[in-house]
Amino acid sequence: MSRFFRGGDDSSSESSSDEEDLSLSEEETTTKDQQSEDESSDDFDDDEDESEESSDDDDGDKPKGLSRFLLDQDSSESEEEDVEATTKVKSAKDKRHDELEATITGIQNGQKINDWHLIANEFDKLNRQVVKLQDGGKAPKSYIKCLVQLEDFMNETIAKQKVTPKKMNATNARGLNAVKQKIKKNNKDYQEQIDAYRKDSDAFMESDEEEVPVPKKVAKPKFEAFTAADEDEDASGFETVGKGGKALQFTPESIFKHLRTILESRGKKNTDRQEQISIMEKLFKVAETPYQKIRVLMTLVSARFDLGSGGASSMPLEHWKSAEKELGVLLHILEVAKDHIVIEGAEEWEDDERAPTLEEGQKYIKIPGSIVSYIERLDDELTRSLQAIDPHTSEYIERLTDEGSLYNIIFQGQLYYEALQKDASLEVPQESLNRIIQRRLDHVYYKPAQVVKILEENSWKQVSSSLDSKITPRSQSEEAIQLINTLCSYLFENSEGIIRARAMLCQIYFLALHDEYYKARDMMLTSHLQENIANFDITSQILYNRTLVQVGLCAFRKGLVYDAQNTLQEICGSGRQKELLAQGVMIQRFHQVTPEQERLEKQRQLPFHMHINLELLECVYLTCSMLLEIPLLAQTGSSPDVKKRVISKTYRRMLEYHERQIFTGPPENTRDHVMQASKALAAGEWKKATHFIHSIKIWDLMPSTESIKTMLAKQIQEEGLRTYLFTYAPFYDTLAVETLSGMFELDSRKVSAVVSKMISHEELAAALDQVTETVIFRKGVELSRLQSLALTLSDKASALIETNERTLEHRTQGSANAFSRKDGRGGGQRGGGRGGGRGGARTGGGPPRQAGGTQFTGGALGAAVRG
Amino acid sequence: MAATTPNGASSPADYDLLPKLAPHLDRHMIFPLLEFAQGQLIDEDESITDEKKAREITEAKFALLKKTDMTDYVASLYCELKGLKEPPIEYAERKQKVFSQLEKFEQETGKITELLEREDVVNNLRSDKVANLEFLKKDHDVTIEMVNALYEHGNLQYSCGSYGDASELLYRFRVLSTDNDKVSYATWGRLACEILTTSWEMALEELQKVRELIDTKLQNNPLAQLQHRTSLVHWALFPLFNYDKAREPILELFFSAPFINTIQTNCPWILRYLTVAVITNRGRAKNVGIQQKQMKDIVRIVKQEAYEYQDPITKFVHALCIDFDFEEAQSQLVVAEEVLRSDFFLVAHADDFVDSARHLIFESYCKIHARISLKDLSARLGLNADDAEKWIVNLIRDTRLDAKIDYKEGTVVMNHPPSSVYQQVIERTKGGFFRTQVLNAAVAR
Repeated sequence: MSRFFRGGDDSSSESSSDEEDLSLSEEETTTKDQQSEDESSDDFDDDEDESEESSDDDDGDKPKGLSRFLLDQDSSESEEEDVEATTKVKSAKDKRHDELEATITGIQNGQKINDWHLIANEFDKLNRQVVKLQDGGKAPKSYIKCLVQLEDFMNETIAKQKVTPKKMNATNARGLNAVKQKIKKNNKDYQEQIDAYRKDSDAFMESDEEEVPVPKKVAKPKFEAFTAADEDEDASGFETVGKGGKALQFTPESIFKHLRTILESRGKKNTDRQEQISIMEKLFKVAETPYQKIRVLMTLVSARFDLGSGGASSMPLEHWKSAEKELGVLLHILEVAKDHIVIEGAEEWEDDERAPTLEEGQKYIKIPGSIVSYIERLDDELTRSLQAIDPHTSEYIERLTDEGSLYNIIFQGQLYYEALQKDASLEVPQESLNRIIQRRLDHVYYKPAQVVKILEENSWKQVSSSLDSKITPRSQSEEAIQLINTLCSYLFENSEGIIRARAMLCQIYFLALHDEYYKARDMMLTSHLQENIANFDITSQILYNRTLVQVGLCAFRKGLVYDAQNTLQEICGSGRQKELLAQGVMIQRFHQVTPEQERLEKQRQLPFHMHINLELLECVYLTCSMLLEIPLLAQTGSSPDVKKRVISKTYRRMLEYHERQIFTGPPENTRDHVMQASKALAAGEWKKATHFIHSIKIWDLMPSTESIKTMLAKQIQEEGLRTYLFTYAPFYDTLAVETLSGMFELDSRKVSAVVSKMISHEELAAALDQVTETVIFRKGVELSRLQSLALTLSDKASALIETNERTLEHRTQGSANAFSRKDGRGGGQRGGGRGGGRGGARTGGGPPRQAGGTQFTGGALGAAVRG
Repeated sequence: MAATTPNGASSPADYDLLPKLAPHLDRHMIFPLLEFAQGQLIDEDESITDEKKAREITEAKFALLKKTDMTDYVASLYCELKGLKEPPIEYAERKQKVFSQLEKFEQETGKITELLEREDVVNNLRSDKVANLEFLKKDHDVTIEMVNALYEHGNLQYSCGSYGDASELLYRFRVLSTDNDKVSYATWGRLACEILTTSWEMALEELQKVRELIDTKLQNNPLAQLQHRTSLVHWALFPLFNYDKAREPILELFFSAPFINTIQTNCPWILRYLTVAVITNRGRAKNVGIQQKQMKDIVRIVKQEAYEYQDPITKFVHALCIDFDFEEAQSQLVVAEEVLRSDFFLVAHADDFVDSARHLIFESYCKIHARISLKDLSARLGLNADDAEKWIVNLIRDTRLDAKIDYKEGTVVMNHPPSSVYQQVIERTKGGFFRTQVLNAAVAR
């Protein structure tokens, strides 16, 4: 589990919940969730912003769905958006006009008393109002007039300011500055009208509205390069399209003009995107040169992506499919026409009249754009639509088949970038290639080798046989393991930070999935990710959690119950598996989640086909816990420090809950099965326990179910024997190995091995008799209550000293290390004391550990005790 | 000994570590290993059992030494391989060349060597290297080139196989040189020389120096540190098994945290040697506590690395100390003995190991059992009843086992006294007073 999610995992509250009942503790956890939720959404917001910015750069201006609500923040932008919104509701308009007039009067008043603070406020208000009043891109005349007057007045004031030594007061000066800047910015947009006004103010004021064919305003400073000559054509182009594009002639020559218009209308309200797309489809048909085709395709694909960018809805299916096809065509064109390249940061070609040609000394025609962003977007859109579809329908499966073609695109994209990278002069950033390889990895790491193989084969079939990849050569892509390995090692070498960590996790996941437990574990340990995973973003943390779980499951399949339990503990012990693995939203019962948080949470969810089966996970976790806990429970029995060692709190709680039930029916779900098996195991009825465990249906989901069942049966036999010995040892003097072996159907050699192990670890106060093949239990080792209390007390005392020492060490750490030097003699003693203490605590009887005893060096007391 | 045992699966040849060891050893050090491997092929009646293998080894030897300057030997190997009587002329040429080079270096280093043998010069040397060089330069016109020539000369001598001279030269170089890199190479070189001339005392000293070098010089380069440590571990095997006094310091070195990590990550096969060293060390070690701790460590590591490395020796430890399967341990011991006898380093310790291993088995057997039949035990130990009895009596006397032999029943009866609760409480609390005092003193300061 990531550190981050651990926010509320407070030990104190945990222990209190221990004694309360089940539901109450859940309450607590949910509130804790909420806290961590808050943090999480904050983090995520940042990311979102960043990604939005970057995508802005990539595909130009995105439609601002939200900007409607954010008018005051970026009013100047929304002004243009409303250019075409010519809703003519008379009364409302009049009202607004009145308001406008009132504001203008306010400004004039301000001018009179030279109060710039007031003017600045009023001016903002005015700008806001005027947005609603724009008429076909034309601002109300009174507004223009006001603007002009204000500008004049401002210039006057500034001029005055320069000559008079007397200073304005601070608020006023600030207001003046603000207004100055705003006017500068604002007036640009209305330059034409302002000019007209200045030329002849009266004529302007009286002129009829319909009369003036106002060319469409150029919105962004970006597009300012447009000259008047362009504008005319633009306008006409705009008109024709606006009327349905029927009269329009699509010729190769006009392609760029069309594209230009479409580009400009991007991100504005009330643009008919469908219409534009169909135009572009036609344009593509007439496009002749590769340059034209590439341009059209790129615009087309981004237009399609715009369709799906509203809120949480994903882009329509048919558009996704066409976008995928078009990207394929685009990549194909780029592959064939080697002199055309699409590259980030290339210069925009401004001349619409003619296409750029290859000039002397130039190797490529560079077209600005980012293939990797397109591919990433395509990928994201698929994920989004998969999130939205009910996974149990055939629709989901149908949609999932698209992943194959997506993978092909990613693969071709990788080839394309590799080709680009061959030419060092292009300086393709390594980052793009890393991103695309990461995407490829994301699509294969959770799949079984056979599936990956099919994917690979298909994608190699798609590309011409002459092409080969340098990073993932054709010959090496046959084996999935090798493929993953090459992809990951490439990323290890060439990337850093999150991508690198993710690559590592993906590889570990894949290894764990394919039963390479030790490799996976070693990688996990050497990566040191558990220490710094909390610094990564949430999706990486989720990947980390998934990997952890997969490693745990792998350990279980290997029969390493202890390791499996240990690994799964963090995730499954928290009771929030769903959330930690992003496989479902937790229901927040006691805390409200803001819609924003909920949306983010939903976005993070993994599509169903990537899920790790939660029920199976729980089943594995509980079974492992049972195998470890039941003997432990039997061992600790009734001694006073029972509460000391708890392996799995979740399991204990469930067991207690189960035991409290007055009537237990036949087991229904996995949990019931494991609980009843636990009960049987605790009573020494291992056969019953095995039966319960075996009748859990979900084992069928594991590969090689039979071998896992046999493994479990074996484990249950052994643990059953241990539990039996722990539980019933006090009631026997001797016990024949033969009997035990018959009782648990184990080899007598195995039985003696188990018993020997227990004796040697001082878990059992007994000895074997070789002659009669019996276990002889030693008597008189059970402690009286007073004795065991004394032991506990002495334990606590030494723990106290230890804590004190540690505290002091901690505090004197910075300064001289005097303390540790001084007690160099005591050091050995301390070590010894600790060792002895631990040994005793665990065994609760039996001779003290030899190592602990021998390490005593100091003091006559020590010698005396040793005798 | 035959190259293959009847039960082919566990033939000692399967556990031959030579290919694994070789990359970490120096050319000159592999040679004795190959010699040994060849020696293994010769039967009691001095006939070579496996012609093909023998030839392979000769070829390996030739390939190994081709790059060195031991021209005479290489030439004779070549002859042996090709069945020629006279070595080809190129070897004579090369020999000539080597000799001329040697002479050249001899001249170049002659002066400085002479100087360093003069008492008055040596007495003027201080611990400061820069000052020394300054002094020699001023008074005796020694240049830095001459010092470096010492190094080159040493290198050539080593390559020719005259390790003693090489060691001497490198030692002098190290005294004078200020070039850190070369000094560390020279230290490695000296270590190799000392190992090859079997002067273990010196080798131990050099070993310590190399270790310090690795710790200090390579602090910023963990990978190089790992590689160097790996080599050092391999080189240290020579003194470890050939010089008794070296055993404890080297074991200590191996068990220090950085080295045990190196062994675990980079060369788990060293575990075999480590295990044997620890097991045979019992009884010999002065400090029983350390020995026990090492044993515990080795058990832990063997368990951890079981998935990566297994051979009869580690399997023996696993069976005995982790699974407590005495029969399995017994059978592994038999295989382990064979493996030991075919291992260059361990061949001399095979008997010792078997003996110690038996002790070990018996010890843990006794810990667990309350009554053991003598007959059974003697069968298990591979001794006859009388010998077994004697053996046990000795054992009871040596180790502080609380056991008695019941002659009538033919059993050994073990007595395991339960530890008293009072003693436990005393044990746990006895450090408390002293520790509190120390703590108090520390706080008061």
